[in-house]
Amino acid sequence: MTLTRAEAEELLYREAALLDDGLWDDWLDLYTEDAVFWMPAWREEETPTADPDSELSLIYYEGRTGLEDRVVRARSGQSVASKPRPRCVHCISNVMVVRSDSETAETAASFVVHLHDVRAGRSHAFFGRYHHRLRREDGAWRIAGKKILLLNDMIPAVVDFYSV
Amino acid sequence: MTTDLSWLIDDRPAEGVFRVNRAIFREPELFDLEMRHIFEGGWVFIGLASQAPAAHDFFTTRAGNVPILVMRDGEGQLRAFVNSCPHKGAQVAQTQQGNSRLLVCPYHSWTFDSAGRNRGIKWQRAGCYAEGFDRDSHDLAALPHFAEHAGFLFGSLAADVPPLAEHLGEAARFLDLVVGQPEAGIELVPGAVTFTYDANWKLQLENCSDAYHFTSTHPSYIKIMERRQRGEGAVAVRSVWAESQAWREEAEGVQGGSYSFDHGHVLNWGRIGDAESHPLHESAEAIGARHGGAGRDWVFNMRNLTIFPNLQIAENASSQLRVIQPIAPGRTLMRTWCIAPKGESGAARRQRIRQYEDFFNPSGMATPDDTIIYESCQRGHASRVDPWLQGYARGMTASREGGNMLSDAIGAAPARSVLADSQLCDETLYHAYYREWARRLGPLLP
Repeated sequence: MTLTRAEAEELLYREAALLDDGLWDDWLDLYTEDAVFWMPAWREEETPTADPDSELSLIYYEGRTGLEDRVVRARSGQSVASKPRPRCVHCISNVMVVRSDSETAETAASFVVHLHDVRAGRSHAFFGRYHHRLRREDGAWRIAGKKILLLNDMIPAVVDFYSV
Repeated sequence: MTTDLSWLIDDRPAEGVFRVNRAIFREPELFDLEMRHIFEGGWVFIGLASQAPAAHDFFTTRAGNVPILVMRDGEGQLRAFVNSCPHKGAQVAQTQQGNSRLLVCPYHSWTFDSAGRNRGIKWQRAGCYAEGFDRDSHDLAALPHFAEHAGFLFGSLAADVPPLAEHLGEAARFLDLVVGQPEAGIELVPGAVTFTYDANWKLQLENCSDAYHFTSTHPSYIKIMERRQRGEGAVAVRSVWAESQAWREEAEGVQGGSYSFDHGHVLNWGRIGDAESHPLHESAEAIGARHGGAGRDWVFNMRNLTIFPNLQIAENASSQLRVIQPIAPGRTLMRTWCIAPKGESGAARRQRIRQYEDFFNPSGMATPDDTIIYESCQRGHASRVDPWLQGYARGMTASREGGNMLSDAIGAAPARSVLADSQLCDETLYHAYYREWARRLGPLLP
């Protein structure tokens, strides 16, 4: 059975809700052990970086352990940037199933994440596009790869896994 | 003429006092003077020669608020111009980088070659210009001063500045060793990262040189390093930090120190040592052959170099070039790149990039804790109740005039130096920033 758009939307919306609610253990559970999490930087105005081995990314992890590190840090109480946690809401739209067979699938979507940093009294939004690679594990679709193309990459002090 | 600046910088060496007034981070009048007389009135870093490697290559940047265009002409000569058409002021180069024999202003098509010479004024003969127009140069305005040192390009929008070699002074020696400076030169890894913070530019200036904050501001980063060392975290991101003693409180003996130089340049350093996970590990022999044993040992130290006022190069497990661009008294733009030796292996480059992303990026696990603290400090600097900051006193009795055996070994002669154990964490190096600041702005203040 191939991935339907309704299933794709369900998964992306669930991921968004878990990030917004700070339920990061459940969020990690959506990812496969070997998941690649990638937010490229930009070479110049119109071209994002394409090769994480020879070009800089904003975030690049091969394997879920990299994301686990990020969750440990964000929850440590020892990162002043991470606490108090900014309030955020992920708005996801334009969801498409780009390709699917019975075991793997790729989806494309657009996102806007609205953030409010209470300490600074500052609200802003990050926006861009997602490309997810999904894989069926134990009967459920899991995220084997997430590429986040951040379009407004002049970053107000902080951007973290939960704010894009 | 010198002016009494003691209401802003309380500098009394004989009495063991150095204090800075919070006003210098806050007051718009002081900020305007800084922009006009420091960022637009003297030497600033504007790029690397390797950003325009081929004939007719160009890149654009800013000096203060002024748009700058750096171009290489057909003969290979690099020049820097104000990126503004002499006709109406529009930028003649629209992009961050490019290659073009001719730049055509998009407003009225005045045309310039890659040496900045005017090559065409649209419909000039039909234009009924008077003689006065012909007496003006229609070329792009070159920066009054533009010079290179070890691949680093500097320019000045003011004419009355000393030669670059005099401005850099002994700090130039440390540019000669950035990322081991191989014969092939240095380059920026593709992918620029830009971030802002709502605080004064001098908070970034100081933090780069601040050895005191690391274990207090970045315990979450240290926690992740320890986690990875135990094999629990991301295995792909091995780091020399995990193997380093520099930030361990119990480490004994000389663990680092600081140098300060004339004209506001400073450097602090700490021991890391060569390790297989260090991206320069593969180049150790070549660096030794080129820069000597002391030069080779030096590049395996953690070191943070500031070339006043806008260039910072931080080298530890990776290597970052930062350009500080003040926007307002309480707002700063940071443009950052991974700086690397040309020709390093794919494995070393990958290691350099991975470690960079985790530590230096605003999307990483260290820098956001710094910038959020700057914003906190800036809110605190609204206070006039206790105007004097006490963050410039550590190391006062350890600071020595001149260098030491370690700077002697690499042929550098700083103005002052401190040798430190792991807990001294010198703050006297900031004095160099503010003495230069006072030297530059003093004559302009009432």
